[in-house]
Amino acid sequence: MPQEAQISVNERAFIQDALKEQLRLDGRAFDAFRPLELTFGDEYGVADVQLGKTRVIARISVDVTTPLPERKFDGVFQIITEFSPMASPAFEVGRPTNAEVVLSRILEKAIRRSNALDTESLCIIAGLKCFALRADVHVIDHDGGLIDASCIAVMAALQHFRRPDVLVEGEKATVLSIRERDPIPLSILHQPLCVTFSYFEEGELFLVDSNLAEEQVRDGEVIITMNRHGEVCQIAKYGGAPVEPYALFNLTSLALQKVKEMSKFIQERLDEDAKRRNAGGLLAELSAENDRPFDRPVG
Amino acid sequence: MPLDTSTYSLALLRLDGRRWNELRNIHAQISTQAAADGSSYLEMGNTKVLCTVTGPAEGRQSGQRGGKDNEAKVEVEIGFAGFSGLERRKRKNDKRTSEMQHTLETAYSSLLLTHLYPHSTITLNIHILSQDGSLLAACINAATLALIDAGIPMTDYLVACTAASSATSAESDNSDPLLDLNNLEEQELSFLTVGTLGRSDRVSVLIMETRVRMERVEGMLAVGIDGCKRMREILDRVVKEYGQRFS
Repeated sequence: MPQEAQISVNERAFIQDALKEQLRLDGRAFDAFRPLELTFGDEYGVADVQLGKTRVIARISVDVTTPLPERKFDGVFQIITEFSPMASPAFEVGRPTNAEVVLSRILEKAIRRSNALDTESLCIIAGLKCFALRADVHVIDHDGGLIDASCIAVMAALQHFRRPDVLVEGEKATVLSIRERDPIPLSILHQPLCVTFSYFEEGELFLVDSNLAEEQVRDGEVIITMNRHGEVCQIAKYGGAPVEPYALFNLTSLALQKVKEMSKFIQERLDEDAKRRNAGGLLAELSAENDRPFDRPVG
Repeated sequence: MPLDTSTYSLALLRLDGRRWNELRNIHAQISTQAAADGSSYLEMGNTKVLCTVTGPAEGRQSGQRGGKDNEAKVEVEIGFAGFSGLERRKRKNDKRTSEMQHTLETAYSSLLLTHLYPHSTITLNIHILSQDGSLLAACINAATLALIDAGIPMTDYLVACTAASSATSAESDNSDPLLDLNNLEEQELSFLTVGTLGRSDRVSVLIMETRVRMERVEGMLAVGIDGCKRMREILDRVVKEYGQRFS
């Protein structure tokens, strides 16, 4: 089984000593994220997130299926994560590593279990037809902070996505194409975002958004998922060195601050993208003028 | 909503008649399996778990013996008995089990003094015989007992407990935190599993899966840590009673 290259003893000592002197190798503050970049594709529901060198692409696609028999009024929503070997030599196709299991579980708990997406709105005809929404998360480049980046990517893609409209007549449902009817945005109930804290020095020192080298040196991690309304959707601390409980409360308030910043950033980007798609606005659409050259003499 | 816990506010008694800070009946035994290097059986209410420890021994796969940096590797296997749940079915959500395995592996590899056993593997086999809430907590407690029985050195007991916030409506502030949930309570309330290191307050494992207001977390965590301390005393008594046989 291929493994992530072990960090050398010198490098490990260097990172730890630098942290003792309140320094990170890339010069960031302890509670600072790497530069975050979010771009949307030409299609609806494609979000490309770059967090420093880490890059994650999420894509939403939709299909029509029959709902599960025990959940007749709900649509289907699943999140599929894929670590491509392109991102890191440690990733293999078809054999999920521990990191992949953790990532998909965290996304599942953060987004699906916390009801970020209203699955009832995906129902077309109860018990017969519903939309099956699928979020594919592709890790393109791995330099730590995968969970945070993936969560941003999925949430941004969900907010960007538009599903086709349907026309229901009795038992018959017709899916209208994008040309026939404007597609409809999904109903998002809240926006959970993950913040991963890595701790060092037996839980005395916390870093936000550590890169791969810092992740290999850390004593443990705490992943906190919150929305900007101050609700904690998920906390996961899988073992690692023990920390004082009051340190964890400080983390939740720090996470809230970070989540607010990030949701604001995502919203800004969504607005920019909407403006770009709707160039000229309603006036351009309603205008009777054609793109005909006027200066050419008639006849 | 499957059942109504709103009756709690009337008599301050929970569905099974406990008060908010009461643990369920806990019964634990160690050295239950003669063949294993260490074993334990733990009941927390109706949650029943059997745990065996094999090792420190040479790993099964010859290529990868032990962990990195001359440390022992901790492996955890969790198996569910077909009759353990309410419905007899194959567990479809297998990622949940692998997450639990991952939690135990990371928790114990930092707790056990693994550097004493380089190039070896410590395997924990956990069998879940009956599920009635607080499953991860029961697994952690059983694993701690089995590791003590196996004589693998560790710094302190890792004990775990669940805690919930009783209020179902978001507005009401007068909510009691509840300790040690059963299955019905787990399905309805938002809860967390907290694992602490013995007598100290230091939190080693913290898993919360349901949405809850930020302010509630503090109360839940405080009650959970308090429950862990009591759990440690109970487990400690089990170990000491067993030890008296040899005195």
